[in-house]
Amino acid sequence: MSTLAQYGLLLGLTVGTIGLVLSLYALARAIGKARTESGKDVPATAGQLSRDPVWVRYHARYYGYALLFLAFDMEMAYMYPWAVVYKQVGLVALLDMGVFLAILFLGLLYGWSQGALRRQ
Amino acid sequence: MTTAVLLLLLAFGAYLVAVLENWATSGRFQLATPAFSALALLGRESVLPRKPDRIFFEVAPTLLLISAVLAAAVIPLTPNLIITDLATGALFINAALVYVLVALIMAGWGPNGAYAMIGGWRFLGQLIAYAMLIVMPITAVVMRAESLLTTQIVVSQAGLWNIVYQPVGFVLFFIAAMALAFLPPFDLTTAKGELAGGVEAEYSGVRLAVFRLGRLVLIITLAAATVVFYLGGWQGPWLPPWAWSAIKILAVTAIMLLAGRYMPRIREANLLSWCWMFGIPLALLNIFLVGVLVLVFS
Amino acid sequence: MITGARHGKLSGLRRLLATAMARDLKVFVIPGPDIARAHGLDINAAGLQMVASPRHASVLLVIGAIPPALREAATVIYAQMARPRALFVLGTNALLSPLPDADMTAELSQRDLIEGVQQLRQLFSAHAFRPDISDFDAPVLQIRLEYTCPMHPEVIQDEPGSCPKCGMTLVPRETQANMEHAHMEQQQTDSGTDVQMASTHEHQHMADDTPASVVYTCPMHPEVVQDEPGSCPKCGMFLEPREVKSESTHEHQHQHQHMADDTPAPVVYTCPMHPEVVQNEPGSCPKCGMTLVPRETQDTHEHGDTDSHANHTGMDHSAMNHDEMDFMSMVDVTKDLPRSTDGLPMEWIDAPFGPFFPGLPGGLLLSLTLDGDTVASSGALSLTESMNLLAHSPMDSTDFMEQLANMDPLTPVAYRLLACRALENAAGINVPADTARARAGALERERITSHLGWLTLFAQQTGFDWLMRRAGSLQLKFQHASLEQIVALKPAIQTLIKRLQRTLLLKSRTVGIGRLMPEATMRGPVARAAGLHDDARSADQTFTTLGFTPAGRKESDAFARLHVRLDEITHSLMLIEAAGAMESPTLLPVGTASGTGDATVETPRGPARLQLTLTHGQVSAAQLETPSTPHLDLVDPLMEQQELGDALVAVGSLDLSPWSSQQTFPQ
Repeated sequence: MSTLAQYGLLLGLTVGTIGLVLSLYALARAIGKARTESGKDVPATAGQLSRDPVWVRYHARYYGYALLFLAFDMEMAYMYPWAVVYKQVGLVALLDMGVFLAILFLGLLYGWSQGALRRQ
Repeated sequence: MTTAVLLLLLAFGAYLVAVLENWATSGRFQLATPAFSALALLGRESVLPRKPDRIFFEVAPTLLLISAVLAAAVIPLTPNLIITDLATGALFINAALVYVLVALIMAGWGPNGAYAMIGGWRFLGQLIAYAMLIVMPITAVVMRAESLLTTQIVVSQAGLWNIVYQPVGFVLFFIAAMALAFLPPFDLTTAKGELAGGVEAEYSGVRLAVFRLGRLVLIITLAAATVVFYLGGWQGPWLPPWAWSAIKILAVTAIMLLAGRYMPRIREANLLSWCWMFGIPLALLNIFLVGVLVLVFS
Repeated sequence: MITGARHGKLSGLRRLLATAMARDLKVFVIPGPDIARAHGLDINAAGLQMVASPRHASVLLVIGAIPPALREAATVIYAQMARPRALFVLGTNALLSPLPDADMTAELSQRDLIEGVQQLRQLFSAHAFRPDISDFDAPVLQIRLEYTCPMHPEVIQDEPGSCPKCGMTLVPRETQANMEHAHMEQQQTDSGTDVQMASTHEHQHMADDTPASVVYTCPMHPEVVQDEPGSCPKCGMFLEPREVKSESTHEHQHQHQHMADDTPAPVVYTCPMHPEVVQNEPGSCPKCGMTLVPRETQDTHEHGDTDSHANHTGMDHSAMNHDEMDFMSMVDVTKDLPRSTDGLPMEWIDAPFGPFFPGLPGGLLLSLTLDGDTVASSGALSLTESMNLLAHSPMDSTDFMEQLANMDPLTPVAYRLLACRALENAAGINVPADTARARAGALERERITSHLGWLTLFAQQTGFDWLMRRAGSLQLKFQHASLEQIVALKPAIQTLIKRLQRTLLLKSRTVGIGRLMPEATMRGPVARAAGLHDDARSADQTFTTLGFTPAGRKESDAFARLHVRLDEITHSLMLIEAAGAMESPTLLPVGTASGTGDATVETPRGPARLQLTLTHGQVSAAQLETPSTPHLDLVDPLMEQQELGDALVAVGSLDLSPWSSQQTFPQ
């Protein structure tokens, strides 16, 4: 199978899944519509009719980790091709990536020492 | 043809996961229950919350399902029983499963309800904790296999399964996979006792059915990925390859579903700090150790 | 027939679906699973699966008569359930208005529950779809628009108009037609709006005489700007007013700023990188060496912007504010937002947790103001009826005892015993030693049951399935166990405790959570976990002769409270064996005695004290102190600045009983 055909198949899977979901929805719709009644559509909050909007500036307390995560996630993009050729290239590859990872790891340690690894 | 067979197997697998999950939560092993639950969900109303972000609310369950199905597409059950043996298979699993996060955040944001929204944002924190522990152990697996082909990864474990070759990587990956499938004790995002259902709280009827289906496919996909990466895939003596795949996948699924019953839910703060303070250094150590082993034994 | 059926004829596919729905009954329990277990009901064994969200439930199970406030909340739950839905009421035939009529009623027993479930299944398969159904509606579900000033939340009126305080146009807000409740809630969360209030002050000065022009904009889509209030064409949210400052207002503001500068505001110096470094003198940071920047302290921190004019580098406000209003400066937009502990301006939301929240005792309402997933402030309220101790005065002594025993379904024996003791004390009756021992046995059995119930709730809250099942089933077994049965159950308890000591994540989940300084308001296990060794049983001769020693820990966190309760379960087993008898207290005849009585009983949650006056064998005055009442006030300090999950564990560790947490009863 050519690469293009492979991705075509994956696209087909996606479309097929959407099709399955849509037909399920259509079936459910054929059985009946949800009845509109007062109070029904208010988000459920354990018995209190809470109508306050909740779309706000949300305080994600893990933002310290999130910043470090960006650095590490970028770095992993380089790791995959490196991992594939690792055995061929040999010791040099280990040293190359070793230095790279060591620097990154120092960054982690620095972030740790500065209190990035906690809920803010 | 293969695709059709595999999709049927995937559906069957998801059904078995539902049976196992029901067994884990209710203590009763009933083969018919999930079928009735699914039909019941189809027959019940699917309530649309007021003033929702309609697109987010509608797309989230489908996206969760698509993400899990796509990841399943590159997982081999036997050397030939695979939907598509993508050259970037191991990476593709990763890429597809990132949409679990997107789906859950959409599901959290969409209904404009407090519990759901907190659940959605909680999962972003969870991703920041587990994501590296998915990626880094896979890198070490790829180093040994010299390929991103999932079939090649299984073949590379012919002499020795990766669970023995790189046990640290296995443990980290297994934990991260459970966190990715938001299984207890990592069910921060759908926590019943803390968020009354979290991202699932506002879904009902057919939308909930699709959401649950996506989750079931996700669980079996992750169990299958664990088998491919660490448990030698279809390899094993006496039995045919497909049987080995099935046995291993179901065993891993059962462990994933049962483990969380015996401990309380993890605290988000602990999940984050442990993953970063112990998980990532261990994952880096694992890459280094595998690097040395690969060079020594080549 | 089911009043909550779906619309349509039952035929073909629908018949199949109805059968499936009958097989798959999901239940939402009111007031809560804790009350169900206290009544000896095993909902799982009856074939019902409990769910956390009303959206997932098809059956609303109401257990016993519930007070009006809870009925209203239950109505909301019922309305939010997807059809087909059924109302199943146990143990009461009273009308549950505003809930609809029950689709099924049964007695309050496990056997009747199981039978009821069977009939419910038949109902569902026959009537899940019906051609003739009507909408459900209740006053509590009605939406009413009210108008409020965005700057002065205390200004609320039914008609649109302008604010009498600042002249701004009032914005519409959805609210319940029946507002009694919401107001109560409002008071509870008032502390949460403190910051908002503080920011109001600044505004008030500014806008007193020059009514600034106001535009309406969507909080989500800043590009939507219009002159009239309304809803956003993109997302439908209500537009929020934003002020456009005219030049004159601005000068006024400056003037005001100068005024503010004149009054000596307390200024502290802090490091921009290390907010924990705070000192009164300028200087450099001991951690990183950066020059400290001045910051005004809390009470005037809204004026912080003013100060930065002079001291802050790089942020020139006057330039920013003057010109184009189209440009939404982040500083400007976030100016009035509440500050989190890390100094970031964030928006807070109010979210109710309760009265039917799966991780909290049924009937307890926590009104939380959330800053992200962190609790900024909270208010705890019991929605159970504030019972009048004396339904009529004078009251027959037996009736009085029964009424008190029925007050708290979670611990009926303890309150029955309390009433007996107080009445007997008033009548001057000496209780024979063996009766006292038997009563002590019954009290200790209830303590074990209650603590196991607490463990089950804790397990439910933290998703610890195994414990939920194990402790739940043990609780049901202990409830009416005989002495032999209790002895036989002892190994099961020991295994449970051993298992808990080895459980992964349990320690990290509870250690350091809900830590409190020892306080005089602490009662029972909460006090004993804080190193305070007060236990009413120490002063009771019956218990001291049985060899009672109070349990105790010092850490005063959720972990310590868990272990104090586990220790008490073990102690109670010992005490029951030593007592050798168990007998639910029955009142010795008080005759026509008169006098005053005073008794204290160590209930599972702490000491409860009852003082009463007996006139010719009838109770003419009574006063009750319960342990949960002072504990309600501990909720806010416990939850403050805690992550939501931790905060809930902390509140859970108090083991509040909403049923006996009324304020002092007037006679």
